[in-house]
Amino acid sequence: MFDTAAMAGTRIRFENVVQRFRVIRERPDTLREVFTRLFRNRTSHHEFEALKDVSFSITDGEAVGIIGRNGSGKSTTLKMIAGVYTPTSGVVRVTGSVAALIELGAGFHPDLTGRENILLNGLLLGLTKQEIQACEQRILDFAELGEFIDSPIKQYSSGMFMRLGFAIATEVNPDILLIDEILAVGDAAFQEKCIARIDDFRQRGKTIVFVSHNMGTVRRICQRALLIHKGRLLANGPPDEVAARYEELLQQPAMAAG
Amino acid sequence: MGQLFRELVKNRELIWTLALKELRVRYKRSALGFLWALLNPLLMMVILTIVFSTFMRMAIHEYSIFVMSALLPWTFFSQSLAYSVESLVGNGDLLKKVRIAKSVFPIAAVLSNVINFLLSMVPLLLLLAILRFPLHWTWAYLPVPMLSLILFTLGCSFFFSIANVFFRDMSHITQIVISAWFYVSPVIYSLDFVPERYHSFFRLNPMLYLLNGFRLAIYYGQLPSWQSMSMSFGCGAVSLLLGYAIFRRYQDVLVYYV
Repeated sequence: MFDTAAMAGTRIRFENVVQRFRVIRERPDTLREVFTRLFRNRTSHHEFEALKDVSFSITDGEAVGIIGRNGSGKSTTLKMIAGVYTPTSGVVRVTGSVAALIELGAGFHPDLTGRENILLNGLLLGLTKQEIQACEQRILDFAELGEFIDSPIKQYSSGMFMRLGFAIATEVNPDILLIDEILAVGDAAFQEKCIARIDDFRQRGKTIVFVSHNMGTVRRICQRALLIHKGRLLANGPPDEVAARYEELLQQPAMAAG
Repeated sequence: MGQLFRELVKNRELIWTLALKELRVRYKRSALGFLWALLNPLLMMVILTIVFSTFMRMAIHEYSIFVMSALLPWTFFSQSLAYSVESLVGNGDLLKKVRIAKSVFPIAAVLSNVINFLLSMVPLLLLLAILRFPLHWTWAYLPVPMLSLILFTLGCSFFFSIANVFFRDMSHITQIVISAWFYVSPVIYSLDFVPERYHSFFRLNPMLYLLNGFRLAIYYGQLPSWQSMSMSFGCGAVSLLLGYAIFRRYQDVLVYYV
């Protein structure tokens, strides 16, 4: 797709993006409700706007943090960049390859060994078998699994699981790396290792979009931050300012966001 | 159709790995492992032979081979459906996190059963040897009915996998459809056993043509008439075109429903 924005080095661009979900009310309360629903309007649902008129752009080589409360629309934004969701209205433009660390080990199968999962997960993330074999050793080195690499991963500790997931996703070597709150888990040493790897990524001029609740990490990794609140983009600027704004927001009485 | 072919080529390594995963997981925890792929059809054949040849006294020479010749392809069909109906819903978590061609899941479900089917030829050959039943030259023709059956099965798999996303009742409905379909298809009997006046009804069943090629080649050592062969390819083509058209129509929104 030819796009002038791409020429100017824009990697990601959101224009008046709206994302609406149908929230289905499961579990009818009464038996009567079961029947009335059966005969009348069988899908009783209401619509929920996860993103309301959001516009921003991210240029090549930028590291941008997305912050906000639970349920504010951060993950929805990431999934739209990843191409999992398509906007209800508005335009999302993404140029280049994307690797999403939306959840580490999404697509891992508990009965397969670590090695088998490296192959499967790499393929799911869009690598070829040959590319995976080429970087398998680096993945193993990073994940530090030792002899567990040939055991089914259901025997792994959650730390090992995450190290493996992170190692695979960052070996994919994408143009854009999406990271969703994955550093909250894992021990300090692992977190350090991950952050070092993300830094390395940034230095190679890759684009990073990073969702986190940890302002320290956001300040450290990102040059810019976006604050999303109840589906709206509240602030877009230097991490310090945006983080201050977020902390203000946290002071307000906790109302269910969304 | 062109899109399907492109996705197939592009994701061939992923599809192959998913299909192998399916098999590996299916047999991994059992003591006999892959042997079950061979034992299953044998045990089924023993039961059917005892019931229909000994108790019911169906006058068919070498009933066990007669029944196997259609039962194995039938099992391929029914197992493929049973797997693919859950293939999108079961991978819903993954579909919500990684952008990936949706068609790989039903295709992999069918492919894993193709492998299973090929394995199940081993006990059949064994049975031929034990019973000193002739190995007809028409075995060489088997890839032809196999191809038409695969096309037909793929079409059904596309339909049932995506229908189950929107109506979870589909997985229950599929089971009932499959068992009813089994009895109206000439698997444990042949069409000669059905009174003439019902034949026009039986001729509406695509399975009649699809299974015919297998039984003729394995049991009778004959080739099907070209009418029968073109009927089976016609059914395969119609099923695939329809099934994939429906799949394609809904594949972009399914992520909101899984």
